[in-house]
Amino acid sequence: MSRTARIRLFWVAAAVFAVAYTAACTGLPRFGTEVHPYGTRAVTSALHRHTANAVSAVNFDQRALDTLGEESILFAAVLGTIVLLRRTRDERVGQPTAGRVLPSTRLLGLVLLPVTLLTGVYIVAHGQLSPGGGFQGGVILATGLHMAYVAADYRVLKRVRPLSVLDVADAVGAGAFVALGFAGLIAGGAYLQNVLPLGTFGQLSSGGLVPVLNAAVGVEVGSGLIVLLASFLDQAVEVRSQDRSGSGGGT
Amino acid sequence: MVRTADLLPLAVAVPLFGAVVLAVGGRWLPRVAIDALATAWAALEVAGLAVLWQRTGDGHSVSWLGGWYPVRGESVGIVLVGDRIGIGLALLAGALVLAVVVYSWRYFDEPPVQHAGTFPALILLFEAGMCGFALTGDLFDAFVFFELMGAAAYALTGYRIEDPRPVQGALIFGVVNSLGAYCTLLGIGLLYARTGELGLAQIGLKLAGHHADSLLTAAFVLVITGLLVKAAVVPFHFWLPDAHAVAPTPVCMLLSGVMVELGLYGTLRIYWVVFSGPHGIAPPHLRATFVAAGVLTALVGAVMCWQQRHLKRMLAFSTVGHVGLFLIGMALLTPEGIAGVALYVAAHAGVKAALFATAGVLLDRHGSVDEHGLYGRGRDLPLVGALFGLGGLALAGLPPFGTSLGKAVTEHAAGDRFPWLPVVFVLVSAATGGAVLRACARIFAGVGPRPREHDDGTETTGSGEAPEIRDPQRPIPIPMLAVPAALLCASLAAGLLPGFGSALAHAARQFTDRTAYTAAVFGHAVTPSAPLPEVGWSVEGVLLALASTALAALFAAAAVWGTGLPWHGVGRAVRQRVVLPLRRLHSGHLGDYVTWLVVGVAVLLVVMAA
Repeated sequence: MSRTARIRLFWVAAAVFAVAYTAACTGLPRFGTEVHPYGTRAVTSALHRHTANAVSAVNFDQRALDTLGEESILFAAVLGTIVLLRRTRDERVGQPTAGRVLPSTRLLGLVLLPVTLLTGVYIVAHGQLSPGGGFQGGVILATGLHMAYVAADYRVLKRVRPLSVLDVADAVGAGAFVALGFAGLIAGGAYLQNVLPLGTFGQLSSGGLVPVLNAAVGVEVGSGLIVLLASFLDQAVEVRSQDRSGSGGGT
Repeated sequence: MVRTADLLPLAVAVPLFGAVVLAVGGRWLPRVAIDALATAWAALEVAGLAVLWQRTGDGHSVSWLGGWYPVRGESVGIVLVGDRIGIGLALLAGALVLAVVVYSWRYFDEPPVQHAGTFPALILLFEAGMCGFALTGDLFDAFVFFELMGAAAYALTGYRIEDPRPVQGALIFGVVNSLGAYCTLLGIGLLYARTGELGLAQIGLKLAGHHADSLLTAAFVLVITGLLVKAAVVPFHFWLPDAHAVAPTPVCMLLSGVMVELGLYGTLRIYWVVFSGPHGIAPPHLRATFVAAGVLTALVGAVMCWQQRHLKRMLAFSTVGHVGLFLIGMALLTPEGIAGVALYVAAHAGVKAALFATAGVLLDRHGSVDEHGLYGRGRDLPLVGALFGLGGLALAGLPPFGTSLGKAVTEHAAGDRFPWLPVVFVLVSAATGGAVLRACARIFAGVGPRPREHDDGTETTGSGEAPEIRDPQRPIPIPMLAVPAALLCASLAAGLLPGFGSALAHAARQFTDRTAYTAAVFGHAVTPSAPLPEVGWSVEGVLLALASTALAALFAAAAVWGTGLPWHGVGRAVRQRVVLPLRRLHSGHLGDYVTWLVVGVAVLLVVMAA
């Protein structure tokens, strides 16, 4: 198909799509209605299980199987990235050179690194109480570590990131979610049933299984994301294909 | 003792946990231990699913995850529902995964350093996705497992990164499937906004209270778009040959054998449970649309399959052709059609996986899957040739293979409604089987004149592929021959064991019973009222099967020896007018594929709204 033909055909089809979708949207419930059948039930169930953050209650208790599937997708993505970005026979590795960093940037990075990591842990740990949880906190944890890359250079990042440990941690986090589901079966209930003591509403220890699952996801997302980024950064910074051999790029 | 209902989530949890164990253990364990562990895990999954199949019988197994049982008919949780069609597909996926794990025992020359367990781990994640998708009774949950299937499959397709082609194929696979998935998600959003429910049965119940309108049709089309992309229905099929041609052979066995068929299963499951109720999508309308799409898919697949000289592309297009036939059978919306397709899918999985497995042996020996370049070079592999030829005959519908029985039952169901449809079945089976027989005769017997080796620019030759395993001097590993032989035997058994057909007849009646499914979700057993479809050999079916097999042999013979015959000129004219433009559409250009995807959605939206 020629370029013009392709673009014309696409826009004609896209216009039909837009019209049909707009027509479909006119059949949706109006904005600002008082009740939503699922929302009402979900919040009631969340309160019943002493989980203040109803979103976490949906993600890690009521619809925990979806979350198990989603974190498995992340696990598959990390494994896939390791496979697809592995070093081939014709790729050479160059040493990354030191980059110049302003002293103020370096200082800011040094101060922000512990703050970011602490924030990450807080967000993971309070998932059952306030907005946040394993996914969000895990991303913050992974970002925090990359502060070393921004504020110093790639060699420093490589020193502070024990990839082989994180690689295992990623798998263990994913496995822990699967294994925690068995708790329900062992207790005589259903898979992924929230069988732990529910605690006092609003306390850090409330929500039963929800904070434990959040911790597992936090470990998996945090370490998985670092491994994921490491594969990409290695490709960008260190790996040289044979026809472009030479020293590594600056960082 | 595990309760039957708990086997449903375990079918997902077991392979997920296995993937974790292999990913971690792969760092330290030797290669033999990794292969043994992967095999044991795949066998455990098959055993669990077999017990589930046995215990569920002709009823439903229902598991409410997290113990969120419905209270006054409402639940906030996810439900897994197993009936014989769903469990059967999960079992098929499990059996194929076991075959693939055994087949790839000594397959790859060097696994990634420090990550030797990654390949089997990704295979198990793929399996978890397929089983979850087949067993879930929740629309959003189905989407999650659909994406898990995708994420694992994209990575597996691009596994051989030394070659740029697999990476390109995986990229096209990923982009086209993800765009389809976005459409599905848009559709799920519309349904959720209207009903406030995500369970299939629950949405179906709530929709019965609304009138059919533009939201309903748009939601239906959007939800099934992603599934039709996965099922490679024309014009959503362009990704499939590109991905199959480059994916490692063991992965092709899974993609063609069961993943593509799961897309069709999802489409029809969602139609029956969600949209077939009062004020839903009218059956005659859906039947006309899907039968038309099925015929188009079958013909495009058959024509393109016949044109290929790259063996894996040939097998990929044969899958497209057969998916078209499956779609026709399922779109009849009768228990007989579903029963026939179920049998056809099971037997086709064995045959197609066996064909890919034998093509993998050629790739291993000669570093090529080019029919022309391999001319006569398979003479020293008589056993491989016999397996390949037998696979071709089974594909064409030779009795008593299960493919033949499945085709016969589906054909009969189709002929009852549209008397001309059996012609499509015979032609498509003959063309796809004939293409395999033609390649078999040239490669393994070296008959006919030597075909030209150069290509005219519109072909994918399949030469110059990197062998997926090194050291061609070593003997062929036994699993690489035992697995295709076992798969062909299984396909034969599917046609010969009368108990299998009658189990699928019950399964099909249950699959088409919306009331029984919905009642089972809420804990009531309903005895199905529809008559049991007839699944067995008939004179008419055997005659048509023999006709398609003979026609396939005739096609192959004409292609090998018939170059000097008078009607050769006619063939050239057809090729110039019809086939060449069709081949040009399969351009490998991602922009083209995306455009066809949007065009497909637009056409479906218009047709279903009409």
